[in-house]
Amino acid sequence: MSRLLKGKVLGIGLVMPSFLTLLVLVAYPVMMSVRTSLQNRAGEWSWDNYRYIFTEPLISQNIRHTMFVTIISCFFVLIIAYGIALYLRFSTRFFSKLINKLYLIPMFIPGVIAVYGFINFYRNNGWVARLIGTDNMLPIIYHVRGLIMINVWFNIPFTTMLLLSALQGIPNSIIEGARDVGATKWQLFIRFILPLSYKTMLVAITFLFMGIIGSFTAPFLIDRNAPQMLGVSMQQHFSVFNEIGQSSSLAVFMFLLSSAVGCFYIWSNMKHSKKELS
Amino acid sequence: MSIQLSVEGLSKIYQTGEGVRDISIEVAKGELVTLLGPSGCGKTTVLRSVGGFVDPSEGIIRIGDRDVTNVVPEKRPSAMVFQSYNLWPHMTVYDNLAFSLKLKKKKKSFITERVDWALNLVHLTGSEKKYPSELSGGQQQRIALARALLLEPEVLLLDEPFSALDAKLRHELREELREIQAEQNLTMLFVTHDQEEALSISDRIVVMNRGKIEQVAQPYEIYHKPASLFVAQFIGRMNFIKGYAQPDGIRIDQLIFPNERGLIGEVAVGIRPEDVKLSEGKPSIEAKVAKIMMLGHYVEVTLHTIFGQLKMFIDKNEINTVELGRIVHVTLTRIQSFQDSNENYLERNEAYATI
Repeated sequence: MSRLLKGKVLGIGLVMPSFLTLLVLVAYPVMMSVRTSLQNRAGEWSWDNYRYIFTEPLISQNIRHTMFVTIISCFFVLIIAYGIALYLRFSTRFFSKLINKLYLIPMFIPGVIAVYGFINFYRNNGWVARLIGTDNMLPIIYHVRGLIMINVWFNIPFTTMLLLSALQGIPNSIIEGARDVGATKWQLFIRFILPLSYKTMLVAITFLFMGIIGSFTAPFLIDRNAPQMLGVSMQQHFSVFNEIGQSSSLAVFMFLLSSAVGCFYIWSNMKHSKKELS
Repeated sequence: MSIQLSVEGLSKIYQTGEGVRDISIEVAKGELVTLLGPSGCGKTTVLRSVGGFVDPSEGIIRIGDRDVTNVVPEKRPSAMVFQSYNLWPHMTVYDNLAFSLKLKKKKKSFITERVDWALNLVHLTGSEKKYPSELSGGQQQRIALARALLLEPEVLLLDEPFSALDAKLRHELREELREIQAEQNLTMLFVTHDQEEALSISDRIVVMNRGKIEQVAQPYEIYHKPASLFVAQFIGRMNFIKGYAQPDGIRIDQLIFPNERGLIGEVAVGIRPEDVKLSEGKPSIEAKVAKIMMLGHYVEVTLHTIFGQLKMFIDKNEINTVELGRIVHVTLTRIQSFQDSNENYLERNEAYATI
């Protein structure tokens, strides 16, 4: 009995450091924001802040803008990264080997520097404009287009890595087996490759969604002044308008959005793990 | 018997310089031919070329009357069972089996009937709704076999299908496979590195080494008349000692064997352990009993002689005739001699003791 107790104490003891860190650095601030978001300026409990973020036209615009940018960016990143991952998985040519070595490089470039380079490249008197002529240049910087482009650029390496590892996890023999029974390339993709990498796609979507919805640097430097991404809007309410309660309610709202995606991910994972023990 | 599969002059050289050169094999309808050899000998390359998964550099592959050399795997009338269990993990057993029939747009009632037939054949009726991960290794490989059979292949290709299973299961599945093969009159090309497996199930064995064929023959002949030193070493247990070939015979100590092939000089002499016999009369070889191992229905005796170690198999009932450390006299009832020619020991002489 005492051995069992010892084991339990040891187990809990081992979990404690990370649990406490989480408690102090994540759970406590989250609870504080929730509390602050539910208080008005006088420090009384009220729904004022939430009323504000859901009725103020500027904020609703920001929310719509944020969702638009996030969903479109996720869509493009996923499509492009999946394409690259498929190519890297199934091609053995020289070019694919080259890309395989290069595609992770953007991950090692600090965000601010990348954004600076991006602005220099695409602004209306930047390098591209000089090459194709200023008149032929579509507005990219200080436009939602530019924001989506930089989101795609930032997120492709990690997403590709994730999807590539999923695709590499599909043994060749499974694919050869399918070809052996007569599956065409298209059937191979729809019936085998997609279902077998679908779960990782959900993981990728979760990461992408959370990363992009809460992004700050790129929207702050590249996006227009209005409408804004929620991250920028939150920063502005906090340090420019000094509306701590309102920025807290925005933070809570974003947290709930991300949690919804997280729950969706966990739910779909559980649904699958019941079916497959792999 | 008509030829169902013919491989002519097949070559496939990989960038590393390894591969297979000038392989020709013919498999008759209803025949089970095994490609046997150590790993890296190219046997899987030959099999995968027949399946269409490897593009041969040279050569022609015919299945039935059709030249399929340039036909993609999905259009070849062959089916393959792979080494790893490659059932599709996201599909139930039923879907795994029905997939090929669905591709052919067969009616549902027909598909159900065929899947039932296949499951019955591999003794797994009732497992339709299970996922591959819920099956044991042996069951998975049975389903893989059933899936291949449902394609009604003109040639069934098996790439070391049982090598991941434990010994007992391997024996069971081997027997089952042989039964199914005989029942359905299937033409099979079977790859293995396990010589016991090859000897037990094959109609004919193709022994391969370093990308080349060493010998093609029936199991009995492969065992009794190995065409090269490599085959002799690879198949079964064999003692190797040095002998001296002279025009009048091959001499090993006091024993002299006929030298019909006219080998000259030093030769490698192979003796199966069952061909080493205790002997009272002369001429014989003096040997000291160094080890006695009981191996079930027979006993393996290790002998030390002046020309090296000899292993001898004796019946379990004769275990009392040998005693550790004692000197015994043995004779060799049958030997194979191989002469070193171009490193390959291809010159071979077979001889029986003339007692």
